[in-house]
Amino acid sequence: MTTTHARIDESLVAHLLRRASFGGTTEELSHFSEIEYETAVDELLNARDTMSIPQDIIRRYHVDMSDLRTRPSSSGNWLYHMVNTDAPLVEKVNLFWHRIFATGQTKLIQGKAMTTQLDMFREFGLGKFDELLLQLSKNPAMIMWLDNQDNHKGSINENYGREILELFAMGAGNYTEEDIKECSRAFTGWTVENTDYMALKMRNNTMRPYGYVNWQFKFDPEDHDDGEKIFLGETGNFNGEDVIAIICKQPATAGFVARHLYHYFVADELPVPQWPHFPPLNPEAIKVMTDAYFESGYSIKAMLRALLLSDSFKSEAAWNARVKSPIELVVGTLRLAGGYDGPTHDVYGHIASSSFMGQDIYAPPSVEGWMGGADWISTGSMVQRVNFASDIIGDLDREGIVELVESIRADAGEGASPESLVQASLKHLGNIQVSDQVNEGLAEFASNFENTVRPSNENIASLLQLIVATREFQFV
Amino acid sequence: MATQLKSKVNYVDTIGFGADVGGRGFHIPIDLSIRPDGRIFVANRSPAHRKGIRVGICDINHGWYHEFGSDGNGDGQFTGPTAITHGPDDRVYLADEELNRITVYDPDGEFISKWGEKGSDPGQISGPSGLKFTSRGDLLVVDHLNNRIQRMTADGGYISHFGTSGTGEGEFNLPWGIDTDSIDNIYVADWQNDRIQRFTSDGVFIDAHGSPGTGDHQFNRPSDVAVDQDGFIYVADWLNQRVQVFDGSWNFIKSLRGEATVSPWAQDYLNANADEAEARTRFNSLVEVDQGAPHEVSSKVESYLWDPTAIEIDPEGRLIITDSLRHRLQVYQRSNE
Repeated sequence: MTTTHARIDESLVAHLLRRASFGGTTEELSHFSEIEYETAVDELLNARDTMSIPQDIIRRYHVDMSDLRTRPSSSGNWLYHMVNTDAPLVEKVNLFWHRIFATGQTKLIQGKAMTTQLDMFREFGLGKFDELLLQLSKNPAMIMWLDNQDNHKGSINENYGREILELFAMGAGNYTEEDIKECSRAFTGWTVENTDYMALKMRNNTMRPYGYVNWQFKFDPEDHDDGEKIFLGETGNFNGEDVIAIICKQPATAGFVARHLYHYFVADELPVPQWPHFPPLNPEAIKVMTDAYFESGYSIKAMLRALLLSDSFKSEAAWNARVKSPIELVVGTLRLAGGYDGPTHDVYGHIASSSFMGQDIYAPPSVEGWMGGADWISTGSMVQRVNFASDIIGDLDREGIVELVESIRADAGEGASPESLVQASLKHLGNIQVSDQVNEGLAEFASNFENTVRPSNENIASLLQLIVATREFQFV
Repeated sequence: MATQLKSKVNYVDTIGFGADVGGRGFHIPIDLSIRPDGRIFVANRSPAHRKGIRVGICDINHGWYHEFGSDGNGDGQFTGPTAITHGPDDRVYLADEELNRITVYDPDGEFISKWGEKGSDPGQISGPSGLKFTSRGDLLVVDHLNNRIQRMTADGGYISHFGTSGTGEGEFNLPWGIDTDSIDNIYVADWQNDRIQRFTSDGVFIDAHGSPGTGDHQFNRPSDVAVDQDGFIYVADWLNQRVQVFDGSWNFIKSLRGEATVSPWAQDYLNANADEAEARTRFNSLVEVDQGAPHEVSSKVESYLWDPTAIEIDPEGRLIITDSLRHRLQVYQRSNE
């Protein structure tokens, strides 16, 4: 592994910001280009959110985002965070865990439980994996999602015991069916307060009589199987914490998490169900991360740091090699456009746009989350993607778009050639790299502007609309 | 004098039931107004289910009358209701912070007129969030995005205004609710300054009470204030999820966290849903919860107040609180010991 210590190439910065953020604004690109690459990575990894619109303002003007009952309310609240945050990597990591620990409001009904889970990701998502798994196992949304309230001493329900091994931590092929049973026994008695009533209200899907009561973890010692268990070759009277400790020291766990990180931050891997049968695309990158995992005591941040500093991440082959997920496209576009510094009813439409493109936040299609990759693109979703980005980026009523247009004009310079105008536009949209053919097409478009010496705001906005409709804009 | 009395405030009753698509019940009740005959008019904000936006009329004895208004910008409709009050003419006035207008209804909820123009000039409004008629028949409008209180005629004519943006005396930061006392002193919930400000009837600053925090006398975004006939002051301490009670000299009396019980409307629902009623026999509404922000605690304890937005005093001196995220009203009574 090598590290770049010199002032970094703007294209590499743009790549870093596409993956570790939602793309870079002009200011972000400029800032991160002025510091060393390693410093940039650390800044992104250690950022704390200070700019998100305060929750009290959101709750006052969107009263539905206070109880967060419905999906537009809970996912809209998350969208505010993603668009406004100055700790974007934290939100990217939240999306990462939401995809792996895929939990759905479609079953849980109440969005408050989902946002409580999201808050947990925000706090523990870059921490130690054993702590994250413990929080996940105690998380009421996960308990109800995988029916652990029905996992009783003497009558186990294997849903959670199976998924923590297969989908969350180790991957198929690294444990036995007996391990699943023993794991499930260890999690008996891990439930929520007022279990019966909460489960019934979830099933009946009713806010009556007094709205939803947010769930709270409860350990019921009477319902916990404290007997001896044999799990992954170890014997003892294991409880949930013990099982997690055993899981986290397995090399398979380190490899599984590393492969997920690579899949999300570097390049689309095969679908997860195929992982037991095919080796990782880049074993060297996996090793860098698994080493970091064990050296740091299971730190996700250390793994991600190692990945972002690795040659495999920085390699030009990795640039623009992943299809943007719908939410990445929506958030990235909105961060470019601005307009989210105060409450706006647009939030509901924007979150719906992500849904129309195929990603319904808080409603993954299954426990396996979204497949991603080429699956994001279909005839219908492509139209939605282009229409959304084009509508936003061409909206000169948005202060942010006017500023963007003016920055492009200033950067290109008075009397700039169409080619220069195109280059400035690509740069200010996040340093997008396009093929020569697309470049020529864009320049030809710009050459037809009425006033090529000083193109109007409308002209430049129309050029931006054309750029966000390109194939290249669909990639990160 | 009120300040010399020892008082206690006790829970009395719970009115209401969650009804997010209309009908008997409430959905995110944001404000209420009590007619002299005791009928309670409840404005429901309900943005996620637009059918829930309406005014429902009930009484203290759980009687249900009817509802009026709906989502939209036509005559009699509203999209962002914030405040409702009765005028001396027995008409109903409803403020809409999104449409920047006041709509006037007859006592049955039939549309009469609407007025209001968005802006910051005198007489224009931006985000009306509180309404209160003075004893002289003037309408005080909390013009919250302009950080001022405007005195208007009942048909929208401009009379005067006071207040500006800031944190000093007589300055506001996104004020919300408003009330007057028996001598027409004006009380304003200065929301983002975490305090209540008191003014003379002419808008001259008297005093301010409160500071940011969670202790007694401290507030976290107070949303409303009410004053009873003896001068006792009730503050909806919104993000602290409680109502604080003071005497007229700001001596602390009590903090109300919420004690809601199953209302008759809620019981009707449970009677019709045997499985829920049965499961509810094992339901602990006062479950001990992990420490956390009051908003989080309220989300887990059904009987607590959750986003109390408004307070009114009924003709019998009862305190009625909109427990907005629980879609009900909690009723308390102050009495002298």
